[in-house]
Amino acid sequence: MKFGLFYELSVPRPWTRESERTVYDNALEQVKLADELGFDQVWAVEHHFLEEYSHCPAPELFLTACAMVTRQIRVGHGIIVCVPEFNHPIKIAERTAVLDILSGGRLDVGTGRSATWTELAGFNANPDDTKKSWDEFVRCLPKMWTSEQYAYQGEFWSMPSRTILPKVYQRPHPPLWVAVTSPGTELDAADRGMGSLGLTFGGFAEQEKKIAEYRRRIQLCTPVGEFVNDQVSTVNFLYCHEDDEVGRSRGRGMANTFNYLATQLTSVREAFPARSYPSLGLLPQLRRQATGPEANEQAGEGLCLGGPARIVNALKRWEAVGVDRVNFLLNTAEAIPQADVLESLRLFAREVMPAFAESKSPAGSSH
Amino acid sequence: MPIFGELAAESVAARLPTLPSFDAPAWTLPGAEILQLAFEVGERTRALLPRAMHPAIPAYATWVVACYPESPVGPFVLAQLRLMGRAGAHPRGYVLAAYASTPDAVRGLREGWGFPAALGSVALRRYHDRVVASVARDGERILEAALVGPEPISGADVQYIHSVVLARVEDAGRPSLTLVQIDPHYTFHRAERGRPSVSTFDRGAWHAEGLDLLHPIAASLCACDTDLPQIRFIMDPETPVVRGTRRIR
Repeated sequence: MKFGLFYELSVPRPWTRESERTVYDNALEQVKLADELGFDQVWAVEHHFLEEYSHCPAPELFLTACAMVTRQIRVGHGIIVCVPEFNHPIKIAERTAVLDILSGGRLDVGTGRSATWTELAGFNANPDDTKKSWDEFVRCLPKMWTSEQYAYQGEFWSMPSRTILPKVYQRPHPPLWVAVTSPGTELDAADRGMGSLGLTFGGFAEQEKKIAEYRRRIQLCTPVGEFVNDQVSTVNFLYCHEDDEVGRSRGRGMANTFNYLATQLTSVREAFPARSYPSLGLLPQLRRQATGPEANEQAGEGLCLGGPARIVNALKRWEAVGVDRVNFLLNTAEAIPQADVLESLRLFAREVMPAFAESKSPAGSSH
Repeated sequence: MPIFGELAAESVAARLPTLPSFDAPAWTLPGAEILQLAFEVGERTRALLPRAMHPAIPAYATWVVACYPESPVGPFVLAQLRLMGRAGAHPRGYVLAAYASTPDAVRGLREGWGFPAALGSVALRRYHDRVVASVARDGERILEAALVGPEPISGADVQYIHSVVLARVEDAGRPSLTLVQIDPHYTFHRAERGRPSVSTFDRGAWHAEGLDLLHPIAASLCACDTDLPQIRFIMDPETPVVRGTRRIR
């Protein structure tokens, strides 16, 4: 099992130029330390207009900064919103290639389509079309990275033949992932030979079932890229403390803050009835997991909050259900002081990571 | 911490209904037809939202116009304007004003759940290319709105957000104000979606001063069986909901 970091970059009110900068500076310090400690990946989301919850509209810039202060850790550009009103496919191909070059071939690319009315309406995008435009984008992107000349005529975008430059540093190209929130999206990932980048916490049984179906389906895939990325990644909170009760209590406070901020946003389905968003999306799922009947089970078993032994147990269970990678949210709205976040990372590296050093290689493999 | 509403509940107390108890029996409402229109609205609407709640991001409002052919008080039509927000972590629509088409419905809704309902002429009419809701008070039209270009969708695609109303109550012998959660159940039989359109909107009649319709979101029309269940939760309008909620049953 491999471990990574996952950044929303939430900034609590009142917003000042210093508070925004502090959040970014703290995150960079965490990433630098995580690189030294042996964490494998750092992911940063693309979100727009999500007040307090996420002030990360330009993850490629943040990740470039991450790449410049680290040596080994991979940088996950995700989730790139594959909706033409947000991102032109040519620009996606170009900027990811530059990031791959600058990071020395450490780029992973996550793709998605946004789950909030807050964002989609902000860009005047039609929620009915996002799944289709995402599909079109992810089929184009590997070819734009690897073809000498590229031309395309599609429903959502078109271009005459051009040489898209530069080309990616990795060969054949960076691993591709799909952000999975809506039920069934993991199957969309499998059918296209893309990694499943889970963004909900879910219960063990639910995840096990999804992963089993993902593994079955990906055997039959027609990959959009030149190789199959059959890894399963999930997201989790992390606050590791020598005192289990302190770790649980402070960590729970951080997790609750995250969930509370998430639920203030307007999911697509809340405002806009649409077949293309069959689930309540990320935000209500987080709310239910925070306050619903399964919240206690989550807190006790699934979340990585507490002492090292508890966190090892939680991760062993995730490993047993087939998860290859876990990406951690370390903080929200600076609820935990930076020094404590850094100490949590050190403790995790010292006492949790060794428990997975001898475990089998991830079930999935990107190459 | 997210921003809060700015409405001092006492400032609107005079026009609020009085709830004699929290024990009104549930109403079963089969065969309902519900039109909902959603619009993004301006941030000035924060002044209309109780201080216990958070505004939605972005701020938006919904008109809900429902035709109930069967109820314990007979057939009636109800129109509500709701400012959407959050009660803690839960999406909720705060009812700014409501108009019901019969005196029995007005009385039942005010005394049973604390709906700020008044008597009005409320109608829902279907045309070949739209479904039109109109509301009049004392002969004056105060709302003309429509779902334009209806297209069939699945009822499973529709999510109705529960409401909260502000009402006067007798709590332990003392008069006070409370937010009441109204959380109907729905069994959908048919659903359509279209564009929302509003041609007449009398802000004063809807207690919606400063509510500007900035951006249309969507309109839906659903045939469903629904209800008005017994009150389950009440909330202090001046205290953040996470601390000020009381379970009734």
